[in-house]
Amino acid sequence: MSIYKLFYFNLRARAEISRLIFAAAGQKFQDVRYERNEWLSHKNEMPLGQVPVLEFNGTKLPQSLSIARFLAKQFQLAGRDNFEQAKVDAVIDTINDAMMIFMPIRRQEDEMKKKELMKKFFADQLPKHLKNLETLGKLYGDGGPFFVGNHLTWADLYFYDILETLLYANENCLNNYAWLKQNRVEVEKQPKVAEYLKNRPKSTM
Amino acid sequence: MSTYRLYYFDGRGRGEVPRLILTAAGQKFEDIRYSEGEWPSHKSEMPLGQMPVLEIDGFKLPQSMTVARFLARQFHLAGKDNLEQAKAEAVADTATDLLNKFGPIIWYEEEPQKKASIEKFFANELPKHLRNLETLAKAYSNGGSFFVGNQLTFADLHVYDVLENVLEIDNNILDQYLWLKTNRQEVGKHPKIAAYLKNRPRTAF
Repeated sequence: MSIYKLFYFNLRARAEISRLIFAAAGQKFQDVRYERNEWLSHKNEMPLGQVPVLEFNGTKLPQSLSIARFLAKQFQLAGRDNFEQAKVDAVIDTINDAMMIFMPIRRQEDEMKKKELMKKFFADQLPKHLKNLETLGKLYGDGGPFFVGNHLTWADLYFYDILETLLYANENCLNNYAWLKQNRVEVEKQPKVAEYLKNRPKSTM
Repeated sequence: MSTYRLYYFDGRGRGEVPRLILTAAGQKFEDIRYSEGEWPSHKSEMPLGQMPVLEIDGFKLPQSMTVARFLARQFHLAGKDNLEQAKAEAVADTATDLLNKFGPIIWYEEEPQKKASIEKFFANELPKHLRNLETLAKAYSNGGSFFVGNQLTFADLHVYDVLENVLEIDNNILDQYLWLKTNRQEVGKHPKIAAYLKNRPRTAF
């Protein structure tokens, strides 16, 4: 019996994708959540002094997306062959590109500058990525509601989670993207995912 | 027998790692390099209007690291099993973190700001990234000279390429990081890589 232990803060942020994969797979795991004041005393237990970290049968793995991809492959949520896995990865990377722009804006301390950058993000930058994601969904989705191959993969889970964060910042950002909206609805309908979403701690980030 | 075609600019940038993997695998491929002037007329041919793109038997795959991981798995340069693959990806992601900070400085900034940014990066950021790479090597390399599992993986090739950017600024930077220095030498000794490096064009980026 494999032992999975996930270390992170008490947030969704960079660990939630892994939690969603565990949930969709129906796999038990230890969900270790450090409060800010606890974290400093555990920092040097982690390979790169960062979290999330997955401990699997005693080996510690850093890097949020490598962890998630490993788990997705363990539980057949990564794509059915190398080619499908590549399509899934392309969607993941495209979602991540959008997040890499958003995160520094979110952290911006100058309120005026932050407001200006957020406006530009939602007006110009995000739409480009959302259009690209719809393009990939149409190219890879085989006509179905999931990003790749007409079945749930971690690409759908990652999109679900990242958009949760973006929708908190701007509740209208998906209004013009019917396919993407429907994709999130399909994810919420998955029984194990629905159960997890109902019971998990709430977090805007 | 599949046909491989790589589309990128005439430089290393984010396109060199797929070239290194195909080369290490001994796999023939069409190495298409668009000049800055040619690129606009080809932009709409790419799924996301970006490069690199890998075309496999007519199917176009975007996203540089997705292409790298796909090729690594096709040619057994990804790691022997799911856990080894996760270790290789964690190393690759750590090198990508470095590239994502340093790349924009060397690719897009102009003098005199560029020189100041490079100095700042070398002083404040670079040591942390190099230390992190050595930490993962100690955890995953089984005492050998390659990052994971005592054999060449795409992680070694990606680190090789990313550090080239740093070495172009300071040729001696790895003198303080002996494991990385040895790893680099081992990669350079790989017969197919050695031949490729000797003959490849020197490019501006």
